[in-house]
Amino acid sequence: MPQRAILLNVADDVATAIVDLPAQESVTVSLEDRSVEVVLNQEIEFGHKFALRDIAQGEPILKYGLPIGSALSDIRAGEWVHVHNCRSEHFGFHREQYGLKA
Amino acid sequence: MEILGYQRPDGQLGIRNKVSIIFSTDCSRYVANKLYQLYPVGTQIFGYPGGCALRQGPFNKLVALGTHSSSAAALIIGLGCEGTDAYMLADEIAKSGRPVQALKINEAGGDLKTLEQGSRLLVDLLQYASQVERVTMTPADLIVGQECGGSDATSGLASNPITGVAADLLIEAGGTYMHSEVSELIGCADILAERAVNQQVAQEIREVIEAAEQRSFASGRFSWGYGNILGGLTSIEEKSYGCLAKSGTKPLQGVLKSYGLPPGKGYYVQVGEPGSGFFHGDPEGINQFAACGAHIGLFTTGCGSTTGGLIPVLKVIANPNRMQLIADNADLDATPVIRGEATIRELGETLYAEILAVAAGKLTKSEIHGHFEV
Repeated sequence: MPQRAILLNVADDVATAIVDLPAQESVTVSLEDRSVEVVLNQEIEFGHKFALRDIAQGEPILKYGLPIGSALSDIRAGEWVHVHNCRSEHFGFHREQYGLKA
Repeated sequence: MEILGYQRPDGQLGIRNKVSIIFSTDCSRYVANKLYQLYPVGTQIFGYPGGCALRQGPFNKLVALGTHSSSAAALIIGLGCEGTDAYMLADEIAKSGRPVQALKINEAGGDLKTLEQGSRLLVDLLQYASQVERVTMTPADLIVGQECGGSDATSGLASNPITGVAADLLIEAGGTYMHSEVSELIGCADILAERAVNQQVAQEIREVIEAAEQRSFASGRFSWGYGNILGGLTSIEEKSYGCLAKSGTKPLQGVLKSYGLPPGKGYYVQVGEPGSGFFHGDPEGINQFAACGAHIGLFTTGCGSTTGGLIPVLKVIANPNRMQLIADNADLDATPVIRGEATIRELGETLYAEILAVAAGKLTKSEIHGHFEV
């Protein structure tokens, strides 16, 4: 069966949907020797990410094996990860550096 | 598959064999173009579409392109009063041992006389090029550049990681790989600095990325917008990682700030010489790789660019809808990754095999369609 989401690095906390995935779907993603199955608790559109594990508030969130930001709230496995619950560390830093409002 | 290259007097090995027709100023482009139209087989044309003043960056770039491994010989057409002097250019290129001729239109006596003299010179240079010695090349002799354009969600998810895999395979075989576009690496300075082979390279990569970042803030042309968020990207660093994925995983050997061959093998970031961009955009990027010795350009596109340049360009596209529209221009169909039917690793291996095939003589779509943008 074709993959429906891409896991880019074995260390990642999120996978990216490559088709629109309906809520309550069980999705399996694999890369090398890692395989993770999660049940989506909401719809995930193409190109959007969902959590592969429970992530605590403040934890860095990895994609490509690198931190894309940190969790603004506790995120459960299978939950959509985006700007509402993940904040860029880089942008935050630069908002101050360049005198922009938060 | 044997790669039979062309031996150059300076030791370089080319995968293509062209006589370069070079216009040293916009004023001599007309005659250069006429010559190219008269002798399109075995020639290529490029030049400086600028005016009177001598600017070092463009001059150095013309020298670098004139001494590229695919250039067997050169005919330079100048007007006669421009700063990028045709004879100076000829002298610099001739230091590589390549046969070079130069004509100035206002010495030769106008367009028609330059065309006549230029034609005779070209015939001789073409005969010379046709007899250049062929030698076996290995992947270790290859230099490959990577550009992305018309990017979309599939670029960071599939096409760029695929080129990253091919980059690693090329470097493991002893080859050389480069990309540019540091303005799209905002947030990646620390990561690339960690991959640097020494402190100096680490410092240099930090400087060029931070300078690009400050330019984009200052100009307001910051490559982050609402469309990115709608498409699923959460942060600027996530977008940049999609770009960084094209770099593979090997150590960063250096930052290429001037034209000419990289000082060694392995992975480099290229930034070009200030003020030397003839045009902006993707063809410029490809030709800057050529000016740093690249034999082949990889080009990942989501929306479906058709761009070429002075070197063969291998198009990689992973967007299934766009692939249907742009198949005539695509070299590697990376859509199986987005359809969930193949892995990034598998397509990366396919791309590496394709790089070797193009080095061995397989024409890319950009070459067949005549996309030699300069």
